[in-house]
Amino acid sequence: MISLQAKNQLTASQTAVILTNYTLAVGILTLPRAAAQEVQTPDIWITVLLGGCVSLVAGVIHVKLSQQYPGKNFYEYSQNLVGKVLGSLLSIFVIVYFLTLSAFEARTVAEVAGFFLLDGTPTWAILMPFMAIGLYLINSGINPIARLFEIIFPLTIILFLLVIFMSVGIFELNNLRPVLGSGIMPVLKGIKTTALAFTAAEIMVVLVAFMEKPEKAIKVVLVGVGIPTLFYLITVVMVVGGLSIEVAQTYTWPTISLIQSFEITGLIFERFESFLLIIWIMQIFATFTISFYAASLGLSHLFKRETKPMIYLLIPFIYIVAMMPKNINELFKLGDILGYFAYILFGLFPLLLLIGSWVKEGRHETKQ
Amino acid sequence: MRRWKLNRKRSLEKNENQKTEEISEYFTGEFSKDLEAIKQEIGHNYDVRFHEFNLGSTDTRAAIIFIEGLSDRQLIDRHILKTLIQPFSENTKRSSARNKDYFSQDYIKNHILSISEVKEIETLQELVTNVLMGQVALLVDRASTVLILGTTKGKTRKLTEPPSEESIRGPRIGFTEKLSDNSALLRSSGKNEKLTLEKYEVGERSRKDLVVAYIEDIVDPQLVKEVDKRIQKIDIDNVVESGFVEQLIEDDYLSPFPQVQNTERPDRVMSALMEGRVAILLDGTPFALIVPVTFSMMFQAPEDYYERWIPGSLVRLLRFFAAFISLFGPSLYIAFISFHQGLIPTDLAITVLASRDGVPFPSIIEALIMEIAIEILREAGLRLPSPIGQTIGIVGALIVGEAAVQAGIVSPMMVIVVAITAISSFTIPQYSVGISLRFLRFGSMIFAAILGLYGVILFFLFLCSHFVKLQSFGVPFASPFVPYRISDWKDLFIRMPLKMMKRRPKMLHPKDQVRKK
Repeated sequence: MISLQAKNQLTASQTAVILTNYTLAVGILTLPRAAAQEVQTPDIWITVLLGGCVSLVAGVIHVKLSQQYPGKNFYEYSQNLVGKVLGSLLSIFVIVYFLTLSAFEARTVAEVAGFFLLDGTPTWAILMPFMAIGLYLINSGINPIARLFEIIFPLTIILFLLVIFMSVGIFELNNLRPVLGSGIMPVLKGIKTTALAFTAAEIMVVLVAFMEKPEKAIKVVLVGVGIPTLFYLITVVMVVGGLSIEVAQTYTWPTISLIQSFEITGLIFERFESFLLIIWIMQIFATFTISFYAASLGLSHLFKRETKPMIYLLIPFIYIVAMMPKNINELFKLGDILGYFAYILFGLFPLLLLIGSWVKEGRHETKQ
Repeated sequence: MRRWKLNRKRSLEKNENQKTEEISEYFTGEFSKDLEAIKQEIGHNYDVRFHEFNLGSTDTRAAIIFIEGLSDRQLIDRHILKTLIQPFSENTKRSSARNKDYFSQDYIKNHILSISEVKEIETLQELVTNVLMGQVALLVDRASTVLILGTTKGKTRKLTEPPSEESIRGPRIGFTEKLSDNSALLRSSGKNEKLTLEKYEVGERSRKDLVVAYIEDIVDPQLVKEVDKRIQKIDIDNVVESGFVEQLIEDDYLSPFPQVQNTERPDRVMSALMEGRVAILLDGTPFALIVPVTFSMMFQAPEDYYERWIPGSLVRLLRFFAAFISLFGPSLYIAFISFHQGLIPTDLAITVLASRDGVPFPSIIEALIMEIAIEILREAGLRLPSPIGQTIGIVGALIVGEAAVQAGIVSPMMVIVVAITAISSFTIPQYSVGISLRFLRFGSMIFAAILGLYGVILFFLFLCSHFVKLQSFGVPFASPFVPYRISDWKDLFIRMPLKMMKRRPKMLHPKDQVRKK
């Protein structure tokens, strides 16, 4: 027990939980709208499924790449692969990505909490305690993070299913018809958007190095992407079924609007959006902390220092980036940019790196 | 045992350094000189008794030294003095003739004294330590060692049911202030040759016995090593109560959660040992300590296991619910009333807001007034003798509460919330856990007053963040809930039937996992 703590290792189930919590984020509230705007037909659930598959493939690539260098994370092996300068450059890109992502998540919380819960409270007042608690959590390493995620995870599942299935009353199967009425093209067009919600497997480039049994990483990706896909699928189906595709596009946060649109009398609570907000804030907290941690880990490898001071070094930058978008539209734009950035950084590069490492290995073997 | 000796040697060396060279360290064998030295060292205390006599009607001088009240007077008179003063038999005299005209100590020890605990010591310091513990020192002329005879008469009291942990079902026996009684209680709870009781001494100036108990073939050896290391490190002049030990060996003194469990019940200690935990007993207190503490222990009561599993499980779920209320009850009320009236049903919101009509304070001030008042009442009730304590409770809760509502200072709704919260916090079987939940509640109320429901969520995340960082003797405090150990969940939120609890908790890494085949 003591040794496991000292080594900072994660079990396979912990890694899967981290991946799930990391993936489940802003998308729960925004994905139905984003996808509906892009696809315009009720088939967005197919798009979500395909988006999940894309993410799965990306995850497998990351894992395969990381498994080539057991015990090393991306920041360490990127230098081995492409040389010191290029490797450091790649690391910096990754760090900037994770930093911006955590800032994006934090700001989204501020927007949603400010809109639904704390009307009129300044953004900084919502942001600062959130970031302070995140800071407190991550300054003792990956194990507490994993354990906190393990607490959040069952709460999320229970509350989410409870809330979302209460909307069964207004669910109309006809809203989901016709299936593929306009052909497959709109569905494929939407994949770009849905895959954005799933840009998550990249965290595996950091996590595999922490795993007790890295050989299980592929399974972890299957579970860790599968569960969020299921969540998103349920969300999209219920939102489109409950609100119809036309209405879903018009709301900023269609999932909350769905929950707000019905009342169940006779219980203590008649409206359930507070439950949804509770789990959603927790999920965002999870994504925020792990990407924050990934960024500071990268910085610590770059400068060859301890992780702890890097955490404190990063926090002002995260705050500044989080305060940069002036309104919610700019925030969403930032999210989109982040997604495209992820495509290149984690879609293209790892594939190239993986092929590169195979080639390198092959050459190595032929020499012997 | 060896460890204990080392320990003592260390502390003895310290004492030697402190003392000047005026007293001879080792006994000389000269009766009057040695006796004089002893008298100089402890003779000025009024309760030290010296008694000089001749051994068995011979010329050999001898003396016993003991402390009035600490030693068993009857034992001294009947089994020590009587056998020593009575004329020795011819047989004895003849055999002693070999030693010329005096009696060897070995002979006295092996042939004369009818007492079971005898040991030889060489230094004055050892003599003083032992005598002060209630032993009798026997000084014999021309012997360079002194015999220490075990005559300690501890203060005992009846074994009664512990008032801090009463239960409907279960043994009606609690620990007492005497260490030997307590260890005997553990021994007598079942024949188990693997029950190991290791002795330590703690306290630099006033030394006290401490016993570490574990089951040798169950406990994780690393855990025993860790406990040993931390107890060795205790470096304080006086260990008054096991609370001192608890605070000196705990992992994080800033944490609101108790990381060492205390109990007065031998059955509780025994079942903890059987799970692979370690217990620490200290002389002079009925409170035994159990380490490591895990989250699951906070809500367990012995009855959960003595009763059948269905009531046991339901009651435990109830406790979890009560803990939730006691932590978040008032803060959720504040959050919903001051920030999100829209999120509660309209009729309820109207009722609550109507009852608050005319209350001059914001709900956080109202809640703080009531919560602090109830904490004061609780503390007052605790300090006063029980009949008065009850009166205070009734006067406080009923009259003051009623009057406050009548006067319009607080709303009746708030009285209900506060009362339910207070009662909920008393359902936690561990007193120390109940306390920490009670004061964490204030933190959660303040978060709620500033940031509403969002604040409550943040507080929950903050609390969880701390909770998952905490460790108790190398075991994550939050286990077995997190990291997930599904097999240990049989005894977490519900208590599964005994027939299904076949393995010991894996989180404690027991050597022998099988509890039941």
